[in-house]
Amino acid sequence: MKKTRTIDAHDVPYSLPMIPIDAPEVVYITLGELRTKSYTLNVQEGDQVYLGTQLGTLDGGYFIQPVFSTVSGTVGKIVKKFIYSGKVAEVLEIHNDFKDTFDPRKTDLSEAQISALTREEIIELAKNNAVKGLGGAGFPTYIKFQTNDPIETLIINGVECEPFLSSDARAILEETVQIFKGIELGLKASGAKKAIFGIKKKHKELIAKLEKVKKEQFPNLPLTIHQTDNIYPQGWENALIRSALGLNIPPRTLLSKYGVVVLNATTIYALYQAVRFNLPIYERYFTMAGDAFTNNGMLKVRVGEIVPRLIKAVGGFNTEEDRILIMGGPMTGANLLLEDGVVSMTVGSLVGLVNHEWIEEPCIRCSACVYSCPVDLQPVNIMNATKNKDHDAVAALNVDKCIECGLCSYVCPSKIHVTDYMRKGKKLL
Amino acid sequence: MQNTVKAADQAPRKPKLIRTAAPYLRDSKSSIRRIMYDVILALLPVVAFSFYRLGWLSVSYVVVSMISIVGTEFLYYYLQKKRFTLDNGTAVISALIYAMIIPEVTPLWVVFVGGVVGVFVAKLAFGGLGANIFNIAGFARVFVGLSFGGWLGYEKYTDALSGATVLGVLNQNLNVDAVANVDLWTMFSGLNMPGSVGETSALLILLGGFYMLVRRSFDWRIPLTYIASFAFMALVAALAGGADLMYVPIQVFSGGMLFGAIYMATDPVSAPTTMPGKVYYAFGIGSLNFLIRLFGALPEGTVFSILIMNMFVPMLDYYRWATPKFSVRSLIIFGIVIASVAGLIAVGVSG
Repeated sequence: MKKTRTIDAHDVPYSLPMIPIDAPEVVYITLGELRTKSYTLNVQEGDQVYLGTQLGTLDGGYFIQPVFSTVSGTVGKIVKKFIYSGKVAEVLEIHNDFKDTFDPRKTDLSEAQISALTREEIIELAKNNAVKGLGGAGFPTYIKFQTNDPIETLIINGVECEPFLSSDARAILEETVQIFKGIELGLKASGAKKAIFGIKKKHKELIAKLEKVKKEQFPNLPLTIHQTDNIYPQGWENALIRSALGLNIPPRTLLSKYGVVVLNATTIYALYQAVRFNLPIYERYFTMAGDAFTNNGMLKVRVGEIVPRLIKAVGGFNTEEDRILIMGGPMTGANLLLEDGVVSMTVGSLVGLVNHEWIEEPCIRCSACVYSCPVDLQPVNIMNATKNKDHDAVAALNVDKCIECGLCSYVCPSKIHVTDYMRKGKKLL
Repeated sequence: MQNTVKAADQAPRKPKLIRTAAPYLRDSKSSIRRIMYDVILALLPVVAFSFYRLGWLSVSYVVVSMISIVGTEFLYYYLQKKRFTLDNGTAVISALIYAMIIPEVTPLWVVFVGGVVGVFVAKLAFGGLGANIFNIAGFARVFVGLSFGGWLGYEKYTDALSGATVLGVLNQNLNVDAVANVDLWTMFSGLNMPGSVGETSALLILLGGFYMLVRRSFDWRIPLTYIASFAFMALVAALAGGADLMYVPIQVFSGGMLFGAIYMATDPVSAPTTMPGKVYYAFGIGSLNFLIRLFGALPEGTVFSILIMNMFVPMLDYYRWATPKFSVRSLIIFGIVIASVAGLIAVGVSG
């Protein structure tokens, strides 16, 4: 099974120098996120804001999340642009004054003050600085910490299993000490007794760095570094938990019931930044990858950056052929129909692929999809049931468990878009 | 029409952003063609050996079965003005397998008729590649065997032309001494062995299987389970009947069992899709094959057992029963089934 889950594509080398990008004139702060329904703004057009000034609050029903300015400057209009979900949403313009003045109301905490913080105070700081799942899910971290279930283990997800992507790897490489301090905070905030850092076996450099920092600076931290297989979707949190703890957690169950909290490595960094500097993530490591771009590489991108400037930074497209532009990873990312996209906090990559017209052959029932499915479904049989509009069969084959990782489409020798049939099957339920 | 093409040429084509759905990457290394061409490649040693052993007779079988099977499929899609489907190589595989499994006394016109009927009824009528229920070559072989039995009868020709086949002798009683003049190397290598056109060399068949295993072009669980269950049943029979244990390798290396296990039972289209399903399916073929050899009227049962199990594939894939992994319960039931088939053989042989 391991072999069918290996994706044969090279990651963007994460240790090469950054591709330079100049500061944006305008940043666009996403207001209509996927998980939130409505928003309220504290600022009006023309207001002066600083880096880290709270612009308003997003309301997600059971949680609230503040939004922040990621530059200092003046507030502009509300416009509509494509966001990370591939849909159009409202975004707020902030005109940059290029001074990067931090909000004076935000105060740093010293190391001594940090170690004196209580669990509730850390959670409050995380909540006030919009710490959320930066691997892409965007789930607010303070909700994970606030659980009543006893938490045994904190897992740090540094697997980043999609091909090409190296943003987390770069963050781990550059901000190792801050991430370790973030783990200390995460342990305190979640009440977990031990932490496990999940990382792919092939990232030898990162593992060596983590081991070194742990040995030299954090010898008492109850952290183990767990090396996972280099397979996809190893970074799916249930797969990581299975690999690290041997627990088989069915999809769509609360992880806290099993005493586990999983946080992305960049989220841990964001947690540290929120506590230490009282600041949200305003800049993040960003992967530009794919055969349609002239250069591939890492950038440090301001949150609110626009897609055309990113494409320009890597030298534009290198082809006159039709192309596919993807916000996020090449397996699960969102398809951009226009270049008019905005980078929000949870986006770590932009992928440009030369469009390849695959010729779809008939299914030969080779069961590559069945063997590779990480949740043990039978994609081929679900596909046939979906084609026949067989509601009972689609339901009995547990299509609702599908995590849409895309592996069935990837491995299909007939180039059938199996994952799309899974989505159609879910609609039949 | 020409004008529009010209206009498109003049205006610089603006590259578009394509609307599609995740995932955007596909495995460029895996394709139907790669799988099918691998099977063809794996078949080539067997075909070459049959040329060496039978000379022009075998060549003419291959040519006629190509013309009938590939030609019929080509004509069918040509007349329907549908997309040309021969490039994926499945018709060629069917033709090669068919040419290898017909007895070496079959008249050429029978080969031709069998090929046409086989590909038309078993493949094209069902909707072409991916929709066939039965193994195409196997269906053609059975059609020929049942409809033109008189032209290729075992009794009529095998005795006269090549002496009694090992299986013919073995099936009458469990007396291994009757075939003591056949040593295992002869059976394994296939040199100087009577039998169907391409089924005789176990060595080359296993070589082809090894190639497909390395290239991951077939599911190794099917041939492994097939051969293992067949050998296990042969062992049970040998022990119950008090025969020499040499009976087991002789059974395994004679007849078309290995050829069927490597090239025919592994046809993904007519096999189940789940791993346990494949194991049950292959076990069914293996034990049926041995049961037919032991108790049936036919000296050989490979093709029949494969076709019979082909019919059970929808049942093995039925959504209420099929699971992608073995459960304890399914393993217990499977164990009971194995034990009862073994018991049946033991009782049948000793009684």
